[in-house]
This record gives sequence, structure tokens and C-alpha cells, in this order.
Amino acid sequence: MSATKTARLGEESRVDKVNAELVTLTYGTIVAQLCQDYDEDYMEVNKQLDKMGYNIGMRLIEDFLAKSTVGRCANFRETADMISKVGFKMFLNITPTVTNWTSDNNQFSLIFEENPLADFVELPDDGRAQDELWFSNILCGVLRGALEMVQMQIEAHFVSDVLRGDDTTEMRVSLVRYIEDEMPPDEE
Amino acid sequence: MVVFSFYIFDRHAECIYKRQWLPRPVSITAKSSRPVSEPSGLSNGSPAVFGQSARTTDDDAKLIFGTVFSLRNMVRKLGGEDDSFVSYHTSQYKLHYFETPTNIKFVMLTDTKSPSMRIALQQIYINLYVEYVVKNPLSPVEHPGGLGVNNELFEQSLEQFVTRVLS
Repeated sequence: MSATKTARLGEESRVDKVNAELVTLTYGTIVAQLCQDYDEDYMEVNKQLDKMGYNIGMRLIEDFLAKSTVGRCANFRETADMISKVGFKMFLNITPTVTNWTSDNNQFSLIFEENPLADFVELPDDGRAQDELWFSNILCGVLRGALEMVQMQIEAHFVSDVLRGDDTTEMRVSLVRYIEDEMPPDEE
Repeated sequence: MVVFSFYIFDRHAECIYKRQWLPRPVSITAKSSRPVSEPSGLSNGSPAVFGQSARTTDDDAKLIFGTVFSLRNMVRKLGGEDDSFVSYHTSQYKLHYFETPTNIKFVMLTDTKSPSMRIALQQIYINLYVEYVVKNPLSPVEHPGGLGVNNELFEQSLEQFVTRVLS
């Protein structure tokens, strides 16, 4: 599928709109609550956010497929385009830039120029959150869950975040393997 | 048009939903091996009773999964990775098939005169399965043993869809 066609698909897929502040505040509240529940153990908060995202992604992919009616991607490059131009466009109304491909086409970065989850956010000034908490870590889990359902095992993590004072917000996504079809268990 | 039965298989090759409307024609028994060579005399006798006593609905589901799984793989080998089969029919029934990119398989058995049900199966996926099963936050993500698929909204809407839209 050509790049422009993919972009158009992201524009056209019908979705109900929801107030952006509601999303930001809801997500912020979840992160704040997790920080409280885990006594500011930010590593654990990152892990929990990723896990929540994973469970969301496994469902969200069905909604994505139902609304966009796209088929299987031919390669990982096409998948990356689809994630950015259709997936993120559809659910968060943003189009992160796909870049920094490795030569084997198995790893790329998503650069978020804007991030609706992190509007109004300032990380706590306790000397640790700036180095340990990945505020939008739920997105990594969402991608992992969604792609697993379409037979791709991936690994995703943030490498920089403007909230921490970095210049960009960047997520690194690596393809681990394509998952084989499962066979029914042998009984006889 | 008559709909005989409907099945959903998940990515773990498990039958997570099955529904039957009418007694099947008996010759389904031999479908996976030699569908057309079944002597037609059998089905005119007492089809429902004979067919039912021979196998349970679980066996049916397994047979159907085996059939569509092999057929799908064969089709992909011959026609390329993006190819998929739409339906096949025997002298007794027609099997319609739709698979999502997430490997969920929708199968419907109807009488032989029915038109293509591919769009209908796709609609069941988009408007019923995704809406009432996937989006129900309290239903589990995976559905071992059909858990979470057999909820009231889904079953009612499916019933309506099949009786009103398809007949």
C-alpha cells in the first residue's frame, strides 16, 4: 500500500471523538494512582503501565481492524506506517514520525511531536522521576499487545521523553519474530 | 435461505462459539474426507437423528476446524500469502469462511442455494463480535471454552441477524 493511501485511510476511518482533556486527566490520574500504590517505585509503575497497555492493545487491535478494514501488512515497514498513520491517527489523532530504521528493517523509532497523554504534565521533582518514570509507557504495551494479535512479537520502549527534559519523545520498536499459526492439540 | 450452523475459532485453534439452528443434513459426516461422494440416499432417510447420534457438536467443530485450516493453508500455498478461500459447497451444504488478520475464523454452514456470506460474516465480526465481545471490558481478552463470547447481547443480536437479515 502506498504511503499516501495509508495516510488517507487514517483520515477516513470513522471514529467517535472524545474530549482530549478527559483522556489526559483520566490517564494522568491512573499514573498518579500507580505512583502512590507502588510508593514511588517508578520501575514498577513503568511495568504496570506496560501491562495495562498490553491488555488494551489486545482488544484495541480488533476495533482497529473493524474500523479500518485493512488486511495483513506485507512487511514490517508497512506495519510501521500503518501504526503511525492509521493507528495513532485514529485513536489519538496524532501521526508520530517513523524513522531511524536499522539496515535489516527490523527496528524503527517513533518520534512524537505531540503527545495528548502528556499535556499539562510535569514530572514530580523528587530527583528520581525524571530519570526513572516513563510517563507514557502505556503506549509501549498497547503496541506490544496489538501486534501480538496480528502474529508479530515485538519489543517497545521509550528512549527519550520531553517531560524529562529531552529534545524529543522517542519510542524504539523492535520486531522479535513472526508468530507461527497455532495448531489444534493432538488428541488421538 | 437456510442457515444450519455458525462457529467462531480463536487464534489458539479453539472453538469459542458454536450455534446450530436446524438439524444438519446427514452427509456432513464425511465432509473432511470425501464430501461429494456421499451416497445421497442416506440423507433422505432420517437425517437429523442419524447425524446427531453419530457425532457430538464438539466433533463437528473439530472436523470443521481441521477442514478450514487445511483448506486455507492449501489456498495460500497455491495462490500466494494473501489468498483466502471464500466458500465451498457439496451437494448438501455450503460452508462460508471469513478470517480476520488476528486469526479469528468465522464459519457458517448454509444450504447450497445461498449467495456468498462473506460480507455477512464480516458484519458479524465488525458489528457483533467486536462491539459486544471485544469491547465488553469485563469479558476476558482470550476466551478459553467460549468464556465471554456467550453473553446475552451477542447471542441475541446474532439470533436477530440470522433470522431477520439473512432469511
